[in-house]
Amino acid sequence: MENNRKKLISILSDVCPDVDFENETALVDDGLIESLDIVAIVTEIMAEFDVEITVDDLLPDNFNSADALLAMIEEKMN
Amino acid sequence: MYFISGTFILFLAVSVFLYYIVPARLKWVVLLAAGAVFYLSGGLASGLYLLFTAAATFISAIILDKLNEIKAEIPKSDKELQEKNKRQKKTVVTVCLILNFGMLFMLKYLGFSLDAIGNLLGKELSAPNLVMPLGVSFFIFQSIGYVIDVYRAKYRADRNFFKYLLFVSFFPLMIQGPISRHDKLASQLTAPHIFDADNLKNGIQRMLWGYFKKMVIADRAAVVVTTFFADHDSYGGAVAAFAVIMYCINLYCDFSGGIDITIGAARLFGITLEENFRRPIFSTSLAEYWRRWHITLGGWMRDYVFYPLSLSKGFGKIGKWARGKFGGKVGKILPTAMATFIVYFIIGIWHGASFRFIAYGFMNGAIITSSLLLAGTYSKLREKLRIDQSSIGWQIFSMIRTCLIVFIGRYITRSPNLTVGFELIGRTLNPFTFNFGEILSGTLLSLGLTSGDFAIIAVSCAAMLAVEYYCEYHGQLNDVLSKKNAFVQWLPLAAIMLAILLFGIMRGSYISSEFIYKQY
Repeated sequence: MENNRKKLISILSDVCPDVDFENETALVDDGLIESLDIVAIVTEIMAEFDVEITVDDLLPDNFNSADALLAMIEEKMN
Repeated sequence: MYFISGTFILFLAVSVFLYYIVPARLKWVVLLAAGAVFYLSGGLASGLYLLFTAAATFISAIILDKLNEIKAEIPKSDKELQEKNKRQKKTVVTVCLILNFGMLFMLKYLGFSLDAIGNLLGKELSAPNLVMPLGVSFFIFQSIGYVIDVYRAKYRADRNFFKYLLFVSFFPLMIQGPISRHDKLASQLTAPHIFDADNLKNGIQRMLWGYFKKMVIADRAAVVVTTFFADHDSYGGAVAAFAVIMYCINLYCDFSGGIDITIGAARLFGITLEENFRRPIFSTSLAEYWRRWHITLGGWMRDYVFYPLSLSKGFGKIGKWARGKFGGKVGKILPTAMATFIVYFIIGIWHGASFRFIAYGFMNGAIITSSLLLAGTYSKLREKLRIDQSSIGWQIFSMIRTCLIVFIGRYITRSPNLTVGFELIGRTLNPFTFNFGEILSGTLLSLGLTSGDFAIIAVSCAAMLAVEYYCEYHGQLNDVLSKKNAFVQWLPLAAIMLAILLFGIMRGSYISSEFIYKQY
């Protein structure tokens, strides 16, 4: 799990280097990541974690923090 | 019924009065009845289109909701039933989209398409003469957003047709949006709001600000624009540039002023609508401009066009192919860039059936897509030139650059046709046809306004910019004012009312024009 988290933070920081993904909990609500970033993040996650993320998963709750994203990824992996 | 009329003010006052005196369970009925009066004042035929959309989307959402319920019961291991359920949902949503967008196409684009085909074939093809219902694009987009959300099981379908009809036909939204979401608006519309003096005050303040922008600035600037474009061949490039600047002012004050009136009118009933503008003049890129201008249309496009396209299997395959062919970076960006291009192209043609809007969409799509694809190159260039992106100088440069791109685009959208648009851009850019002397020789005063009118526009725009600057960098002015005493709170509003009275209602011979976005 910790490994997945590290991998995720690395993907996120690669797409948006200026955002503090370790601590932010309102990434979408506060406009820290926007639609283009979300698509880039989703594309990378699908390639790295071998999971399928569809448009139905694009809810702010799933993208507001790294932990929320990780929970969604791990649910799909299982 | 026109927002800028005594009839509308009287209608609104009566509606607000009735809303607060009827029993709680009937409050939403007052809003629905007010919507019916407002909408049907434009003719019975246009009401039928709205009813058709409301009925089609209401029924589709209920079927989708049922299918969502069935899906929840299907075991995850039963792939066959899962697939069948998915197919059924797709069929329902596709039929609903075809019905509604088919109607929109017939009303808005059929004439243009037949003209274009007729020109190609050398035949005269004519479309039936249909009544264009008020706010047709707005209510169709709003209703389709609701159906797709139910399809995605974001929330349950509305079970009361009349309450749903209120969501589709809430009258302040009927002229030019904002395109609202069911989960944010519907519950507010049916909630029995009790009278709140703050809502009344804030609503009136917001409406007055909107009337000021529309009546004092937009309608005045519109005179110059109309006069110039009625005889555009008679002027040089400098006057053309001036007229297009006036059009930029006209369009912003007209649309955002109309939205202020809408948001203020809804607030009188205790209803908070989504904002549609966030000071677009401070945008540092064209993409940011579109996130600040007509926000609810951009949000709609993002959620219902951009995401589904970007994350579709087809675009995924293109991405994989591009990674193999051009390498990781391009492969990653290409699907997003393609989806971005398509979105801006659709936004362009959303504005109207004309080659001007197709070109406008193409221009926006091409600039934003190329900036995505060339982001790395630009970044390296900035590094080489030692440009600090966070510096004030670069920020101001970026804002001016964005304004210039938008300004060029407005030549295209306002001109009577694409050829004239390009010709006027050429006339402005060519030093031999620019003819700055025309400005100095007093030609501007032959464009329908007096020097006093120009002074009113200049002072009003300066006041508006000052307010927008404050809001951009220091927070909402309303919040600051609300903490002051009543005199300080009402003083600026009294000044705005006086300006509306003197420079709006009691002005010269020209009359108030319709809202530009009403036609979309």
